[in-house]
Amino acid sequence: MKFLGNLDMMHLMERSLRRAAIPYALSEGFNPHIKLSMGTVLPVGLWGENEYFDLELSQRMDIIDFRQKLSVALPSCLQLGECQEINDSAPSLMKIINAASYVFLLEPPFPSLDKWKEELLARPSLTVRSRGKKKGLDKELRTGIYRIEVEQSLNFGRVEIWVAVGEPVNVRYDELGELLLQTGFTQKSIAEVFRSGNYIREGSSYLSPLEVRLDKHTSPCGHSGVPPCGVTIKVGGMRVNK
Amino acid sequence: MKDQLFRDILSRVAKPARYTGSELNMIKKDWEQAGVKMAFAFPDVYEVGMSHVGGKILYGLVNEKSRHLLERVFAPWPDMEAIMRAEQIPLFSLESFRPVLDFEVLGFSLQYELSITNVLNMLDLAGIPLWSRERNEAHPLVIAGGPVVFNPEPFADFFDIFIIGDGEEVLLEFLDKVETSRGLEKVEKLKRLAAIEGVYAPALYNVEYREDGILKSFEPRFAEVPARVRKRVVKDLDQAYYPDKPLVPYMEITHDRAVLEVMRGCQRGCRFCHAGIVYRPVRERSLETLESQARHQLQNTGYEEISLASLSSLDYSGIDPLLKGLVGNYGEKGIGVSLPSLRVDAFSIDLANEVQKVRKTTLTLAPEAGTQRLRDIINKNVSEEQLLDAVEAAFKSGWLSLKLYFMIGLPGEREEDLEGIIEILQKVKYIGDKYSRRPVEIRASLASFVPKAHTPFQWRPQNTMAELDSKQQFLSRRRRKRIKLSFHDRRTSYLEGVIARGDRRLAPVIYLAWQKGCKFDGWSEYFNFDNWQDAFRESEVEPEFYTGRQRPYEESFPWDFIDIGVSKEFLQEEDQKAEEGLTTADCRQEGCSDCGICLAMEVSLNIKGGNVDALEKQI
Repeated sequence: MKFLGNLDMMHLMERSLRRAAIPYALSEGFNPHIKLSMGTVLPVGLWGENEYFDLELSQRMDIIDFRQKLSVALPSCLQLGECQEINDSAPSLMKIINAASYVFLLEPPFPSLDKWKEELLARPSLTVRSRGKKKGLDKELRTGIYRIEVEQSLNFGRVEIWVAVGEPVNVRYDELGELLLQTGFTQKSIAEVFRSGNYIREGSSYLSPLEVRLDKHTSPCGHSGVPPCGVTIKVGGMRVNK
Repeated sequence: MKDQLFRDILSRVAKPARYTGSELNMIKKDWEQAGVKMAFAFPDVYEVGMSHVGGKILYGLVNEKSRHLLERVFAPWPDMEAIMRAEQIPLFSLESFRPVLDFEVLGFSLQYELSITNVLNMLDLAGIPLWSRERNEAHPLVIAGGPVVFNPEPFADFFDIFIIGDGEEVLLEFLDKVETSRGLEKVEKLKRLAAIEGVYAPALYNVEYREDGILKSFEPRFAEVPARVRKRVVKDLDQAYYPDKPLVPYMEITHDRAVLEVMRGCQRGCRFCHAGIVYRPVRERSLETLESQARHQLQNTGYEEISLASLSSLDYSGIDPLLKGLVGNYGEKGIGVSLPSLRVDAFSIDLANEVQKVRKTTLTLAPEAGTQRLRDIINKNVSEEQLLDAVEAAFKSGWLSLKLYFMIGLPGEREEDLEGIIEILQKVKYIGDKYSRRPVEIRASLASFVPKAHTPFQWRPQNTMAELDSKQQFLSRRRRKRIKLSFHDRRTSYLEGVIARGDRRLAPVIYLAWQKGCKFDGWSEYFNFDNWQDAFRESEVEPEFYTGRQRPYEESFPWDFIDIGVSKEFLQEEDQKAEEGLTTADCRQEGCSDCGICLAMEVSLNIKGGNVDALEKQI
């Protein structure tokens, strides 16, 4: 699953919606497509634990029924999390998601994680070669790194890093990987990388899109009797268990 | 192996989803419980192989309808191959990630002559000896099927068995017999299997050639082995297996849609067409069957598009109700219908308009030749008037670009025929500009004619590369504004021609070419003609012998022992009629043309809308 490209993921979701016979809304125009939009692009080679989609429906549907039908139709390597009704005042996921967290699972040998974290956060500047738009140029990551959590036992390590997404600084997972390599880790010690979450960061709190929308955009649609209404869908890839 | 792949290997290759398996509707049977274990190998990359309908049929047939097991294998792209060789990962199947060497049968689908180098490369990656004579009872039985094996001889030394004709008709019978022949010595096993109609085991035959290179004799080495091998035919497509739950890949493949095979065979009788002869007779599926197959496939795949596949889908007698039904049932859900090939007439355009109400992208028509005289020679029964009517109908209803297929190097071709191609293109452009507000785009694809075994033109010489080159240049010089010409690579056409009418003496050439690094020969970025030329030179094989000669009617051909049901006399008559510029009508319209297929195969035309007048009713 983690090797799917962005477009492949969209196709997978669209085909699942068709198999589930969900009353999706179609766009107008020359090439009608399902009104489905993805939160943020999940890079090839990475799986995500909490990824979000918005779907517009052509008619309102009971959310429990929706969840049940879609979860049967999804391939077994994708798990359906929560689904939540939203109304058309909800801004697009892509606009509101401004932070993400990535997890690096580690195998020995690797340095002491507590010490590594302390030293890293103490540094005023962290530069890597940019992998994004300005490929090859130096990129300053420090302001985009919000928070780091570490966990360590004898033969296992886990580093979770919360970073900025979008403007003004966008931190990519492969840039974090390079940062790890620069600061004492080896490629061999990184056993697995995945995205653990997508958030709307407000001050020091990280809200999931579902939480934000529960507060602001769920005055039930169909309330005034008019479609369109929609659903936010959370899905997650399965962990590769050894 | 699977762990190593997912953790260390796949992140280093392009398009890793080619190698991960686990697609929706994948069938993974219990290895221990299964009968014969067969690997189905497609000698091209995943996205091409997964688009092939025949493979989907056999996959479902074996896995759903028998106790045997069938798993998929594709040719790894060169980046993956390099890592596999470096890390000593053998060729593996996508279902259980087992080495191909663990299977009892390894079956290749041969759709294209030049995919043979990929076959050798895959055998090598699997650790299986390339030459049939070097494999013993412990190795998988290496077999092949598909359109190319109607002349299996160039590949005879690499395969143990060829299966001739419709695979779903014979594969289960074959696998049952493989199971009951376990433990036998290889030659005994081959003899048992060769007793099945449609099964050819090349090692059981002696071939001799005359001094001038022409076939002298082709004889079975054992009394019980049949002298001729007759192709297998599905008589009733409604009774034949067709998958309701085809695999749905995670990555985009070449033909990424549900497929309805509306019929098999084509009786238009174009004299250059290989498939049109070897897949006779026409057998249609009934509307009810197709409607139910469409419903099941869409339900089980979630595909956004369904396409009608066959050699000439608009000749299907129920095409009108079928299309209306599909558009009516699925259009509102955003599911589209696509027609890969269009007939050259206004009726076809109307139908195309019907199914593509919103998306008017490119329309493709195939007049094949530039003048009426040459179209009569090749029996492409399309008049210029029909063509221009179709073009007018298309541009009137809003299409903005048109693609036309032609062939160069056809028998009897003159300069005026090449001029004729340009003239047609200019007329088409003129009509387009008349009806459209903005300048239309005209594209012409010009293939080189390759004479194929079992066709009326099997006696004809093929144009040399120099001839094709001068014709291509002649046409290019006449290029006009917003008419784009694209030519097939004349070197690949030449090689195709050598293999298409080749014999067993080509095996060393193919082997050498592979040794020199030839693979993915159908992909222009990998095609290396120099290596092939060196291989011919070093093995002292003269390719012109296969392509350059006008062959006499009395010559014995290496593929004559394959009984396709259509008689050699009919092919010869067709060739003579071509010489005289006479056409032969479709037997559904004007009665039997005596090709011999119905008598030979004890079949009759299976046309659901009635045999004779179905076509006229439509037009």
